[in-house]
Amino acid sequence: MTSATTEFFDELGSRGHEPMLEKTTGTVRFDLTNGKRTERWFVSIDKGDISVSHRNAAADCTVRARKDVFEGVATGEVNAMASVLRGTIAVEGDTLLVVLFQRLFPAPGEQS
Amino acid sequence: MSGNGLVQILDGNTFVVSDANGDIEASLTDPTGLFSFDTRFLSRWVLTIDGQNLTALSTDDLHYFETRFFLVPGTGTVYVDSQLSVIRRRAVGDGFHEELTILNHQDEPVELKVRIDAASDFADLFEVKDALKKKGAYSAKIEDGLVLGYKRDTFTRSTHISSSVPARIDKKGLSFDVKIQPHGEWKTELDVATAFLVWGTRKRTKYAGSNREGKSRMEGNLERWLDGAPRVECDWEPLKATYQRSLVDLAALRFSPPIAGGRALPAAGLPWFMTMFGRDSIFTSLQALPFTPELAATTLHALGDWQGTRIDDFRDEDPGRILHEMRYGELPAFEERPHSPYFGTADATPLYVVLLDEYERWTGDTKLVRELEREARAALNWIDEYADLLGNGYIAYKRRNEETGLENQCWKDSWDSISDREGRIPGFPRATCELQGYAYDAKVRGARLARTIWKDNSFADRLEREAADLKRRFNRDFWVEKGDYFALALDQDGKQVDALTSNIGHLLWSGIVDKSKAKAVAQHLLGPRLFSGWGVRTLAEGEGRYNPIGYHVGTVWPFDNSFIAWGLRNYGFKEEAARIAAGILDAAEFFEGRLPEAFGGYERSVTRYPVQYPTACSPQAWSTGTPLLLLRTMLGLDPLEGHLIVDPALPAGIGHLELLDIPGRWGRIDAYGRGREQNGRRTGLRQQLGAYEPTGKHRRQRA
Repeated sequence: MTSATTEFFDELGSRGHEPMLEKTTGTVRFDLTNGKRTERWFVSIDKGDISVSHRNAAADCTVRARKDVFEGVATGEVNAMASVLRGTIAVEGDTLLVVLFQRLFPAPGEQS
Repeated sequence: MSGNGLVQILDGNTFVVSDANGDIEASLTDPTGLFSFDTRFLSRWVLTIDGQNLTALSTDDLHYFETRFFLVPGTGTVYVDSQLSVIRRRAVGDGFHEELTILNHQDEPVELKVRIDAASDFADLFEVKDALKKKGAYSAKIEDGLVLGYKRDTFTRSTHISSSVPARIDKKGLSFDVKIQPHGEWKTELDVATAFLVWGTRKRTKYAGSNREGKSRMEGNLERWLDGAPRVECDWEPLKATYQRSLVDLAALRFSPPIAGGRALPAAGLPWFMTMFGRDSIFTSLQALPFTPELAATTLHALGDWQGTRIDDFRDEDPGRILHEMRYGELPAFEERPHSPYFGTADATPLYVVLLDEYERWTGDTKLVRELEREARAALNWIDEYADLLGNGYIAYKRRNEETGLENQCWKDSWDSISDREGRIPGFPRATCELQGYAYDAKVRGARLARTIWKDNSFADRLEREAADLKRRFNRDFWVEKGDYFALALDQDGKQVDALTSNIGHLLWSGIVDKSKAKAVAQHLLGPRLFSGWGVRTLAEGEGRYNPIGYHVGTVWPFDNSFIAWGLRNYGFKEEAARIAAGILDAAEFFEGRLPEAFGGYERSVTRYPVQYPTACSPQAWSTGTPLLLLRTMLGLDPLEGHLIVDPALPAGIGHLELLDIPGRWGRIDAYGRGREQNGRRTGLRQQLGAYEPTGKHRRQRA
């Protein structure tokens, strides 16, 4: 069974281009922890062209969260920005990237 | 920054509100304390000497970020010839820094027990306003200083208090055993730093050394701001003072959102609205365009970055919608309030396009217009796709967040602001008239940007067609035949909500009014039911809900009047615009150059001075921007293809007015205006512009 997180990133990678990020260039790494395991998603954005991998490399912006929290974000049940304010999602580096990236998360009740 | 006897100092969204002694003794509902990012980090900060409170001799606001308190021990009403002086010098900037000095004036040494009590309730600003209970746990730890903490699940905030002179620290404060030689002094530097998770990164603010560096940085910043702004020369002295006050207050109101890379946009008001507001930031940026166009650029960037992309009922978010308000405190964090951000505003989205176009007309910055093409198109799309709730081709609003969303999503956002002549309040959705004006203007301006910069003629044609159609329908559907003015709104059945209001002035500003109807609108605005002598009332005298001290139902709002004056000029009513400028600028003088959010709608000849409406915020951004926009309307400034048109129409009583070094696509340019009357002829009388006899049919009794 694939997780909502995997579906979200797979779909994003297969899209190849995202018009909403056409002004954006940079890299965002998502470190999602599940017990001792860390699942990594490395998203590279080049003027809206998107590629997704599992690379463990330094990024312009790093997002850390528990896997179960991010599952909620990927389904639209959890609001990413409120989570950041609450401290359940941590962001390091270029915060503007995550403000722009969060536009891609689904709305509540709208399964990705 | 004094209001209600309280002293306020601030830097960005960090501010301190204390009593005249510099002490903070807050309760949950009391608005004193050290606040940062919408959280109170200190609710108690009380200085005692030998167990006694102190008495203030004087309080000096040195800058908007710095205050000095001169104190003597004792609180008695009997004057004591004190042998001690106490000086607290406090500067804000990410927490605050306080220099505490005690002077011994005696020939003998003294031994004193100096104590500072400190505590924090870590209240969210919303809790302070609404008196809500906390859900997390508090802590107090003694490390290299006193660390006060608050934790609710993963949400943590802490306050770090330290002293340059070693102190005895307990969980409720700091104590010093002080010995001062004859005619000697004792001094310590106290630091209060705030720590929180912003963007998940633990941030602890701390002053470098004695804070001299930070302070001079802020002083230099203020000087550069003032130097960069145009200069005003005028024979009516109060205008120069009002202008200066506005510039300094606008500097204080600058706010750098965490994503803006250090650039600033105007926050809405001090102290409670030091955050990004769609509507307020846009209106203030429009007012300030001829003076500080960089504010508009940041506003456009930041609001564009946060533009809505999905349908979220809790936040009243739609794709393309521009936000209403952003907050960083505990309640939005736990989704007990929707401000992360909240989108419940029906005007910010069309106004976003208006600001983008007006910004380009002044600055020629086509690069930004190209950069924000996507956002501007999404905003234009929102008007037709998401805002037409009744399917009748008009913007209407109805909140989807029934619990904590905003009912009235227009600038008159209080519960009873929208009513008909009898005072009846309509149901929802409501389509207020000014929203249609903004939509029209957004389409017209969007068409210009599409044609000249985005090079999309078919989109421009479509927008122009839609604008023309909207204008035609609007002049038919909103026009109140019996009164010769535009209705305040259409209700959920498309029926007119027919109160006479100041909103008709915004219609002139937007250009949606048919030329044949403009004169009647102008006559209403300057007529006795709307015009008080100081300005245009929000609701006309004689309407069902009229109340001269009702928030949106009779008071005069300076910002409202500045846009009405702009609208009057757009339709050629120069003298009328000048009369509004005269009234508002006269009022400004009574408020020492700092116009309040609103003042009473009483007839000028009755009260002779503008009656202040009690509000929490002063200065308020769009009131601060009002004198700037009035300078523009008095001089008739308008950019046209690389040139600046100057077409002055000064109020009687101003002999000459100069605005020097106006920034824009022309570089820097000067504008001059000459009035019909020279100043100084009425010696012995206090010069008031609006007290001059107006000419023509608007002649009224002089006070």
